[in-house]
Amino acid sequence: MSTTTCRHEEGIKAAHESCIDASVRSPLLLLFGNALHWLVVAAFLAFLASVKLAFPGFLGGVAFLGYGRLEAMSRDLFLYGWASQAAIAAGIWLMARLSGRPLGGVILRTVINSAIVLWNLAVLLGTLAILAGYSTGVEWLEYPNWVSSMLLLSFLMIGIWVVCLFDRRANIGSGGRAETALWYIVAGFCCFPWVYGTANLLLTWKPVSGSAQGLVQGWFSGAFLLLWLLPLALASLYALLPRLSGQHLHRRNLSPLGFWLFLLLGGWAGLSRLIGGPIPAWMTSAGIVAGVLFLIPVLIAVINLAFLQRSGGHDGDGIAWQYLRSGLFLVLSSALLGAFVSLPDVSAFARFTGVTSARDVLWLLGAVSFTLLGVLHKATPALLAREVWCAGLSITQYWLAFAGVLLLAVLLFLEGLVVGLALLDPVVSFLNITSYAQPFHVLEAAAWGIFLASAVLAATNFTRALAAERLFPKN
Amino acid sequence: MHRLPTLLSGILLVFLTSWLGVVAYSTLELGRLQPAPDAETGATLPPNYGGDAIAGERVYAAEGCASCHSQQVRQTSITGTDIARGWGVRPSVARDYLRDSTAFLGSSRLGPDLSNIGVRQPKAAWQFLHLYRPGSVAEGSLMPSYSHLFEVRKIQGQCSDAALDLPAEFAPKPGYEVVPSTDAKNLVAYLLSLRHDYPLPEAPVKKAAGAK
Repeated sequence: MSTTTCRHEEGIKAAHESCIDASVRSPLLLLFGNALHWLVVAAFLAFLASVKLAFPGFLGGVAFLGYGRLEAMSRDLFLYGWASQAAIAAGIWLMARLSGRPLGGVILRTVINSAIVLWNLAVLLGTLAILAGYSTGVEWLEYPNWVSSMLLLSFLMIGIWVVCLFDRRANIGSGGRAETALWYIVAGFCCFPWVYGTANLLLTWKPVSGSAQGLVQGWFSGAFLLLWLLPLALASLYALLPRLSGQHLHRRNLSPLGFWLFLLLGGWAGLSRLIGGPIPAWMTSAGIVAGVLFLIPVLIAVINLAFLQRSGGHDGDGIAWQYLRSGLFLVLSSALLGAFVSLPDVSAFARFTGVTSARDVLWLLGAVSFTLLGVLHKATPALLAREVWCAGLSITQYWLAFAGVLLLAVLLFLEGLVVGLALLDPVVSFLNITSYAQPFHVLEAAAWGIFLASAVLAATNFTRALAAERLFPKN
Repeated sequence: MHRLPTLLSGILLVFLTSWLGVVAYSTLELGRLQPAPDAETGATLPPNYGGDAIAGERVYAAEGCASCHSQQVRQTSITGTDIARGWGVRPSVARDYLRDSTAFLGSSRLGPDLSNIGVRQPKAAWQFLHLYRPGSVAEGSLMPSYSHLFEVRKIQGQCSDAALDLPAEFAPKPGYEVVPSTDAKNLVAYLLSLRHDYPLPEAPVKKAAGAK
C-alpha cells in the first residue's frame, strides 16, 4: 500500500518536473548552446595566444592578432560568453526546478529569450571591438562601455525574474533539502549587477581618478569570480550532488555559516590580488586575511558534499556526476591555491607569475566550468526528455577537459615557481629568466590544444543532440 | 532566511561591507588625492602627460600591453626585488596614477614592469626599434613584433628623418625604409612619460638609492 502511494507521489513529482522543464526549454537550450559555442571560440583564441607566446614570430605583424588582443578576447569570452551564460542557465533551471514554478506567460518568455539574444549580440560586438582595437584596456572589463551596458540590461531582464521566484516557491517555509542552493543562486544573481555595474561605472562609464582605479579593479576580479560565478557553481553542487546520490548533506547545520562567511570574505578576497601594490597597508592586510580565510566556507561546502556516494541511479547521469564531482575537487584545489598565493611570503615571488595564472585557470576553467558542464549534462536530457549524449563522446570530452585543465594548471604553477624564484636574484637578467619559461610555454600551448579538443567535442555532442531532436521530435 | 526580504537584506548588508570598505573608500579617499607641489621646480607631481602621450595611452589599451606588463613597483614590506632589479627607486603609491585615465596596474609579468620605462630606456629610437623588432635590441626577447604600427615604404628622394636605424639583419630590402605611424609615435611618447622616480610626501626617494 505504502509503496503504491510512494510510487504515485513520485509519478506526480516527475510529471511536475517535466512540465517545468518544458517551460524553460527554449531559453535554456539557447543559453547552453551559445555558451558552448563561445567556449570553443574562447579556447581557440587562447590556443592561438599560447602558440604566439611559445613562438613569438607566429602570425606576426597582423594588428588584430596581437597577443594582447587575443588574450583579452579569449578571457572575456570565457567570462561572459561561456561561464556567465552557463551560470545564468544553471540559475534559471535550478531555481525553476527547486521553486516548483514553471516559466509561465508568453510575455515573460519573450522577454527572457530577447535578453539572451541581446547578451550574445553584446558578447559578439564586444569581441569584435577588442579585435578592432577599441578595448578599454581594463583587465576583465575590456568591452567598450556601450557593450557592458547591453550585458547589464540583458542580465536584469532575466535576473529579476529568477530572484523573485525565490519568494514564489511552492514549498516555502518547509526548509526543503535544497534551501542552501537557493541562497547561493539569489546571492549570485544579486551580486552580478552590483559588482559588474559598480566596476563599469567607476572604470569605463565614468572613470574615477587613476589613483582609485587599481583597488576597484582588484575588487572586481575577485568579486566577479567569487561572488557571481562561484555561488552559481556551489548552488549547482548543493542542488545536484545530493539529488544524484539520493543522500542528505553531511553537516547541513554548517551551511548557513558557510554561506554568510562566503559572502563576507568573497568581497574582500579580491584585495589579495594587489598585495604589495599601490594600496594602503591595511588593505593589503585585509586581502591576505580574506584570501586565506576564504578556505573556511569552501571547506564547509566540501565537508557537506564530498562524502556523498552515488548509489545506482540513472545510467545517463554518470557523466553529469563525474563533472560535478571533479567540479567540487577543483573548487577545493582553487581555494587552496588561492590561500597559498595570499600568504605574503609566497605573494612576494609568486605574484605576476604563472602561479597566479594557475589560480585563475583553476577557478574559471576548473571549478566553475566543470560544475556548469555538469549542470549542462544533467539538464539537457531532462529538457529534451530523452537520452541525448553519445557515451563515447561524453567520456572522451570529459577526460580531455580534465587532462587539459590539470596539465595547464600544473605547468603554469611550475613555470611560476621557476620564474618567481629566479626573479628574486637581481643578478640574473630578465631575458635569461624568460628563457627558463620558454619550454613551459610550448607545453602550455599543447595543454590548450587538449582543452580546445574537449570544447569542440562538447559542442559537437550538444549539437548532435539538438539535431537528433529536430529530425526525430518526440512529440 | 525562508523569505526573500530577509535573505536579500542579509546579502545586502554583508556585501555592503566590502563595497563600502573597498570601492567607496577608494573612490572617496584615493580618488580625491591632489597633485603634490614639487619643492625644486614649483611644478606639480606627478608630472602631466603631453597630448601625444595621452593618445598613446589608448594605443597601450588597444594592443593589450597590460596583458604582459605591470606598472607597479611593490612595497618593500612585501618584497625588495622590484627595486633591487632596478625597476624603480621607490615603491609606487596611489598618487602616481593620478594623471592616468586608465591605471594599467597589470597582473602578469611575462615582460618586465614598465612603471619606470621612461627612465630606464629614455631614448625614443630604442623604443621604436624594440617595438618594430624586439630582438634587434633585446636578444632572445619573447615580445611579439608590433610591426603593424610601422610603415615599410620605398625611399623617395632623401631618407625620412623618422626612419628606423635598423641593424642589417632586421633591415628592409635596399631602397626601402621603416617609419613609425602616428600610433607608434604616440605609444612611444606614452612609454617615455612613464616614471615613478620623483619624490612624493608619502613616498620619498632616498638619495643613496641603488646602493643595494
